[in-house]
Amino acid sequence: MKKLLSKEIRLAASPLSWIFLAATLMTLLPGYPILMGAFFVCFGVFHSFQNAREANDTLYTVLLPVKKTDCVSAKYVFTCFIQLIGFALMAVLTALRMTVLASAAPYVGNALMNATPLFLAFVLLIYAAFNGIFITGFFKTGYKIGMPFLRFGIATLLLVFAGEALHFFPGLAFFNTPGGERLGLQLGILAIAALIYAAGTLLSCRVAQKRFIRVDL
Amino acid sequence: MNVLEVRELCKKYPKFTLSDVSFSVREGSIMGFIGRNGAGKTTTLKSILGIVHPDAGEIRYFGREFAGHEREVKQQIGFAGGAVDYYKRKPIRKLLDVTKTFYDNWDDDACRRYMDLFSLDAEKTPGELSEGMRVKLNLTLALSHGARLLLLDEPTSGLDPVSREELLDTFRFLRDQGIAILFSTHITSDLEKCADDITYIAKGKLIASEPMAAFLSRCKETGCGNTLDEIMVHFEKESLYEKAAE
Repeated sequence: MKKLLSKEIRLAASPLSWIFLAATLMTLLPGYPILMGAFFVCFGVFHSFQNAREANDTLYTVLLPVKKTDCVSAKYVFTCFIQLIGFALMAVLTALRMTVLASAAPYVGNALMNATPLFLAFVLLIYAAFNGIFITGFFKTGYKIGMPFLRFGIATLLLVFAGEALHFFPGLAFFNTPGGERLGLQLGILAIAALIYAAGTLLSCRVAQKRFIRVDL
Repeated sequence: MNVLEVRELCKKYPKFTLSDVSFSVREGSIMGFIGRNGAGKTTTLKSILGIVHPDAGEIRYFGREFAGHEREVKQQIGFAGGAVDYYKRKPIRKLLDVTKTFYDNWDDDACRRYMDLFSLDAEKTPGELSEGMRVKLNLTLALSHGARLLLLDEPTSGLDPVSREELLDTFRFLRDQGIAILFSTHITSDLEKCADDITYIAKGKLIASEPMAAFLSRCKETGCGNTLDEIMVHFEKESLYEKAAE
């Protein structure tokens, strides 16, 4: 798998996958739906899929001494690699906002979602949606990327809307406290989201492999 | 020993069916795989490599079933499906550097030898090469990892006569080293120069799979023709008037 990840990075990856990691800095923006940072990280990965499709990467990979299903695993490993870098950066920025910048005026009066463990949980759910909707959709044909990405875009909008709306419900305002409140509960939710991300990614990888094995290249 | 055995391979498309194709390739032999355009040669080659998902059939390499031993089998085979059609904007050097990490028996010297033989420049990108030169690049990739079996789809198409002759020489040399080659072509004169066995398919069905000499002499005796060209024309020429009347 190390060789396949190296192949993805050296040949298939678009520079935009790395450049869009800068969108994690959106975590610091007040008055902005910061969950869009997770969408842009996935949008960067989407460009690598587009790049790989144009370079006929699937055929190249299938001809290497690997199983046909390894083509799918390679894409998942690369996607998770980028997503986890993005998550680590967002986690650091969230910690910064919850500690040093907790009492900064723009965050205290921020009507939109603040960076908290709940925010990180939603980031993982958006990632899981990308893996479960876009990647499995892509491997139905091995080349169509438009419709699967549109479906992922709609799912992201719903998740962003849910994340932004949650703290407006009676009794849930604590979710948006800049310094973090009821951290045990929030970290528990983050742990559940991490499980959903891990299990969802593994499951969607299996589904994508099953679909791809029947694709005629 | 057979390095490749294909039994009753079937693949159904809406307008084409490959049915019950069976043949085997012996170690250290060259098998020509012939048929007119659209006969199913590429579908067969892609099916035996899993690029296309066959509906039925058994494919065994070196006595092992392909399905359960894909990685090990691919270490020992080389495939060149015409010209390199991937990563056309990446330098060849980078493509070689990445590709070689996947092969246990990659031979840098052999790679350099074939690059020199085919006058390939590693600093160029495949997109900067002509069709013929991209065929040579594909062959270089297929020949540089000590493959015991080469599956080549139209390897001589797009090559000039000198390069074709050099390539056929290379095939004969490789056969003498014990490497088996299965190559599809409709340039039948290439096969007459080097093939030991012949497999002939028409409209997705197997017509013959036997030693070249036996096939030619049988066809000669039955008046089907003296050369592969004549034999193919005999079996497959359809009258335009008959077709129009259908």
